Amino acid sequence: MKNTGTFLVQALTDIQNGFAFLWPEMLLTFFFLLIIGLDLFKSIRIKAIIPFVALAGFLFSIFLQLQILNNLGNYIKPVFFTGLLTSDGLALYAGLLFSVAGIFTVLLSWLHPALGKNFKGIGEYYAFLLVLAVGLNLLVKSLNLLMLFVSLELVSIASYLLTASLRYQARAIESGIKYILYGLLASGVMLYGMSFMYGFGGSLNFTQPAFWENLSLLNSGFFILIFLLTFVGFLFKVAAAPFHFWAPDVYEGAPTPIVAFFSTAPKIAGFVVIIRFLLAFNHTVAGGLENNIFILAGGIALLTLVVGNFTALWQQKARRLLAYSSVAHAGFILAGLTAMAANALEAVFFYLTVLLFMNFGIFLTVQVFEERLGITELKDLSGLGKTFPFLGILTIIVLISLTGLPPTAGFTGKLLLFTSIWQNYTLTGHPLLLTLLLSALLFTGLAFFYYIRIPYYMFFKRNLSEQKKVSLGRENIVLALMTFPLLLFFVQPAWLNELIEQVIFYSK
Amino acid sequence: MNYILSSLIFIPILTVLLILCLPARLQNGIRLLSLLATAAQLILAVWLFWNFQPASAIGGSMYQYVEQVNWIHLNLQSLGQLQIQYYLGVDGISLSMVLLTGIIGFIGVISSWQISKNVKAYFALYLLLLGSVMGCFLALDLFLFYLFFEFMLLPMYFLIGIWGGPRREYAAIKFFIYTLIGSLLILVVMIGLYTSVIDPTATAANLSASFGSEETSGTARQQVQQLLQQGNIPAEKLVHTFSIPAMYQPQNFIPGSLLHGMSQKILWGLPVRLLAFLLLFIGFAIKLPMVPVHTWLPDAHVEAPTPISVLLASLLLKVGGYGLVRVLYPIFPDGGIYFAYLVGGLGVLSIIYGAMCALAMSDLKKLIAYSSVSHMGFVLLGLASLTAEGANGAMYQMFSHGLISGMLFIVTGVIYDRSRSRIIQNFRGLAFAMPAFTALVVVAFFASLGLPGFSGFIAELLVLLGAFTSSGVSGMLPRWLAVVATGGLLLGAAYYLWALQRMFFGKFWVHPAIMEKPIMPDITKREYSMLVPLAILALLFGLFPSLLLDKISPALNQWVESVLLLGKEQIAVVLRGIA
Repeated sequence: MKNTGTFLVQALTDIQNGFAFLWPEMLLTFFFLLIIGLDLFKSIRIKAIIPFVALAGFLFSIFLQLQILNNLGNYIKPVFFTGLLTSDGLALYAGLLFSVAGIFTVLLSWLHPALGKNFKGIGEYYAFLLVLAVGLNLLVKSLNLLMLFVSLELVSIASYLLTASLRYQARAIESGIKYILYGLLASGVMLYGMSFMYGFGGSLNFTQPAFWENLSLLNSGFFILIFLLTFVGFLFKVAAAPFHFWAPDVYEGAPTPIVAFFSTAPKIAGFVVIIRFLLAFNHTVAGGLENNIFILAGGIALLTLVVGNFTALWQQKARRLLAYSSVAHAGFILAGLTAMAANALEAVFFYLTVLLFMNFGIFLTVQVFEERLGITELKDLSGLGKTFPFLGILTIIVLISLTGLPPTAGFTGKLLLFTSIWQNYTLTGHPLLLTLLLSALLFTGLAFFYYIRIPYYMFFKRNLSEQKKVSLGRENIVLALMTFPLLLFFVQPAWLNELIEQVIFYSK
Repeated sequence: MNYILSSLIFIPILTVLLILCLPARLQNGIRLLSLLATAAQLILAVWLFWNFQPASAIGGSMYQYVEQVNWIHLNLQSLGQLQIQYYLGVDGISLSMVLLTGIIGFIGVISSWQISKNVKAYFALYLLLLGSVMGCFLALDLFLFYLFFEFMLLPMYFLIGIWGGPRREYAAIKFFIYTLIGSLLILVVMIGLYTSVIDPTATAANLSASFGSEETSGTARQQVQQLLQQGNIPAEKLVHTFSIPAMYQPQNFIPGSLLHGMSQKILWGLPVRLLAFLLLFIGFAIKLPMVPVHTWLPDAHVEAPTPISVLLASLLLKVGGYGLVRVLYPIFPDGGIYFAYLVGGLGVLSIIYGAMCALAMSDLKKLIAYSSVSHMGFVLLGLASLTAEGANGAMYQMFSHGLISGMLFIVTGVIYDRSRSRIIQNFRGLAFAMPAFTALVVVAFFASLGLPGFSGFIAELLVLLGAFTSSGVSGMLPRWLAVVATGGLLLGAAYYLWALQRMFFGKFWVHPAIMEKPIMPDITKREYSMLVPLAILALLFGLFPSLLLDKISPALNQWVESVLLLGKEQIAVVLRGIA
C-alpha cells in the first residue's frame, strides 16, 4: 500500500514536472482550440483571420523552441512523464524544423487560390495542421512504444483528414481513402510487431539496455522479423520501399501545401524515431544480431534507392515524379543511417534541413503550375521559361539542389552524407557500405535526368499554346525566400552545421 | 595586381549580373558589354602571361599570384575538422590554359555576334561558362576545382539545348549525363582523398593549443607531419583539407587511411590507390575525350551553335587534360607508372580510331569533332610517356589545339551560315567563290594536320619524341606505340586533304537542294577578325615555340621528375602488397 502510494506521488510529481518541457505542444494545442473556436463563427471576416492565427501559432512555437535551445546551459537529458517522453537535442531540433515546415505550409496555403477565405473547410484545415504538428512533436519526444504508437496515430489521422481537404475533387477523396487503408494496415502491422517487442523485451521503454538484452536472447530470425514488423510503421511514414506505394497516390490528390508538408515533416519525424531505435540498439545487442540488422537496413536503403530513382524516370506528371523523388531521398538518408554510427547524425540532419527547403520550393513551383497556370502534365510546361524567367531560374536552382550539384546546399548535404558512409566503410570494411556509396553516387547522376525534365520543357520546348500572362509577384518572393537558404548553406554551411553539432551534443 | 586571378574569374560573372539587369531589347548593348568583359579578361590574361616568372630551381613557392582565404570550416566531431579554402594560384601548368581561355573567350564573343534569339540569356550563360572554365584552371583547392568543373556543365547544357541544331535536346542531355557520371567518379576519389589528407599548418595551429608554443610555420609543419606518420595525433584534432598542393606531399596522408601512399589495401583485386587512379582517369578521360568514352562529343559538337562549339573544343576539352596533369598524375604517380602502357595505348587508340572515323564522315563539323578526339589522343600519349618532351608536348598540344580547333569550327560556321549545310558532298570548288576564305581554310587545315611552321607541328613532334625515347629514358612505353601514333599523322593528312580537295577545288557547284542559285559570298570583316588572329597565333607559336615553352617547361620538367621519383617509390610498396 505504501509502495503504491509513493509510486503514485512520484508519478504525479513526474507528470507535473514534465509539463514544463511541453510548452511548444501546449501552445500549439491552445492555438488549435482557438482556431476551432474561431471556426464556429459564420462571419467570413473572422474566417479570414484563421490562417494568420495558425501562422502566429507556428511563429510563437518557433520562438519558444529557440529559447529552449538557447537555454540548454546545464543540460541533463530529461526523461519525464514516467519515462514516456524526453526533450533532448534531437527532439528540440526536429520540433524547430516542424514549426518552420508549418510556417511554409501556411505561406503556400495563403498563395493557393482554392484554400483562400472562401474555402468551406478552412477552419478544419488549419486546425488539423496544428494537430499534426503537435503529433509530430510528441512523436520525436517519445521513448515508449505505446507513446510512439499514439503519436503516430495522431499524426496519421490528421494526415488522412488533410489529404481529403479539397472535398469536391474526386482525386482528393480517392487519395484520402487510399492513404487511410494503407496507413491503417501499416499501423496494424507495426502494433503487432510492437506487441511482440513488449512481450519479449519486458518493458515499453525501448531506450533501456535491459529491453534489448532481453530481446537479444531470442532466435535471430525471429528477432529480425519483429524488428521489421515494428519498422513497417516508421518506414511507411518516411516512404521507404517497399512501403512507399501510398506516396504517389497521396501526393497526387492532396492539396499542394499539404503534400509539401508530407514530404518533409513526417519524414524528419520518422527518421528521428529510426535514429532513436538504431542508437539504442547499437551498443546493447549481441554482435551477430547487429550484423543482421545492419544488412537489413542496408538492403532496405538499396531497395529504396533503386525503386525511387528508376520509377521516377517513367513519370509524366510532376506530382508523381516528386513523390518518387521523395522516396529516393529517403533512400539516400537510409544509406547514411545504415552504418548506425554516431558521426552520421550531423550529415543526416543537415540533409533533412536542406530537404525541407528544397521540397517546399519545388512544391511551390508545382502549385504555381497547377493552380495559377492550369498545368498538370510535364509536357504542358513547354515554353514557360520564356514567359516567366524568374520562376524558371528559381526552379532550376531548386532542381539542381535536389539533384545534388554545386553550388547548392544539396551538394553539401550529399557530400557530408557520402563522407560519413566512406568513413564508416574505412572503419569497418563492410562491402555493403561501399555498394551503398557507389550506388548512391550513380543514382545521383540518374536523378539528374528526371529532375532536369522540368527545365527541359520550360526552356527547350517552344510554347505552342497561348499563355496568358499572370502576375506571379508574391509567389516569386516566397520562392526566392525558400531558394536563398539553398545557396547560403552552400557558401557557409558552418552556420547550420554548428547548430546541428550543438543539438546532437545535447542528445547524449 | 594582387587580385588578378579573382578578377579573371569574376569579371565575366559580375558582368552576368549586369547583363541580367539590362532590358532584353538592348541587344547591341549586351553584345558590347560582353565584348568588353572578355576583352578585359584577355588583357589581364596576356599581362599575366607576360609577367609570369618561370619556376626557378631556387626555393620558394611554385605558385604565383596566390590568393588563399579560409572559406568553409566544418567540425566533423570524431572525424576531425574539414577545411575548404578559396585557393587560387597560377603556375607553369595552368598558365597556357589561362591565356587560351582569354583568347578564345574573346573570339567566341565575336563569333556570337549574330545570335539573335534571346540575346540576353545567351550572353549571360556564355559569360557564366567562361568564368567557370577560368575558375577551373586557376583553382588550387580540389573542392573549388570540382565546383567550377561541375558548374561548367549547366550553362553548356542550356546553350546547346536552346540555341543548337535539330537534335539539340538529345545532344545536350547526352553531354550532361555523360560528363556528370565522370564527375561523380571524380567525387568518389575526392571524398577518399580529403578524408585521407591533412593540412599540416592548420593542424599545427590546432595542436599548438596543447603544445602551448609559437613556432615558425616551416618547422611546425614538419613536426606535425612527423607526428602524423607516427600516428601520434588524435583523430579529432586533424584538419582535413581539399588543398591540392597539400595532396602532392605524401607526408600529409594519414597512415592507415585508404589512400595513403604506402597503403597496401586491396579492393576488388586491385590496390586501392590504383583503383582510385583508374576512377579519376575515367572521370577526366570522359572530358578529354578519349576513345571509348568519346561518343558524346560528335553529337554535342554537331548540334551546338558555332561559338559554343568553339568553346567546347578549345576550352572544355582542355579541362580534362588539365585535370590529368594537375590532379591525377601528381597525387597518384604510382598509378601513372603502373598504368602507363594502358594510358599510352588508349591514347594511340584515340589517335587512330578518331582519325579513321574522321575519314568516314560526310558532315564537316563531325569530321572536325573526330579530329579533336584524335588530337587529344596525343595529349594522353605525351602524358603517359612520362618524359620531359612528352609532357611539354602534351601541354603544347592542348594550347595549340585550342587555337587551331577554334579556327576550324569558325570555318564550318562560315560555311553553315551561308548555306545551312555542312555536308561535304554538297559543295565543290568553293575556292573560286571564296578565295580569301579558302586561303584561311588551307592555313587551318594544314596547321591542324601538323605542318611544320605551325604550333601543331611543335606539339606533335615533342609528343612523338617523348613517346619514342620513353622506353629508354623512363621505361614507360614501348617503341611501337610511337610508331603507330606517327601513322595517325598520315591519317590526319588524309582526311584533311581529301575534305579540302572535295569541297574547295574543282568547279564551283553547290547542291541545288541546298541553294537554288549558288551564292557564297566571301568572308566578312567580322569573320576575318576571328580567323586571322588565330592563324597568326598558330604561326607565331609554331615559329617561336620558346615564347610558350620558356614559361611552362620548368614547371612541367619538375612535374615529370617528381611523378617518376615518387611514383617509383610508391609503386614498389604497392606491388609488394599484391605479391
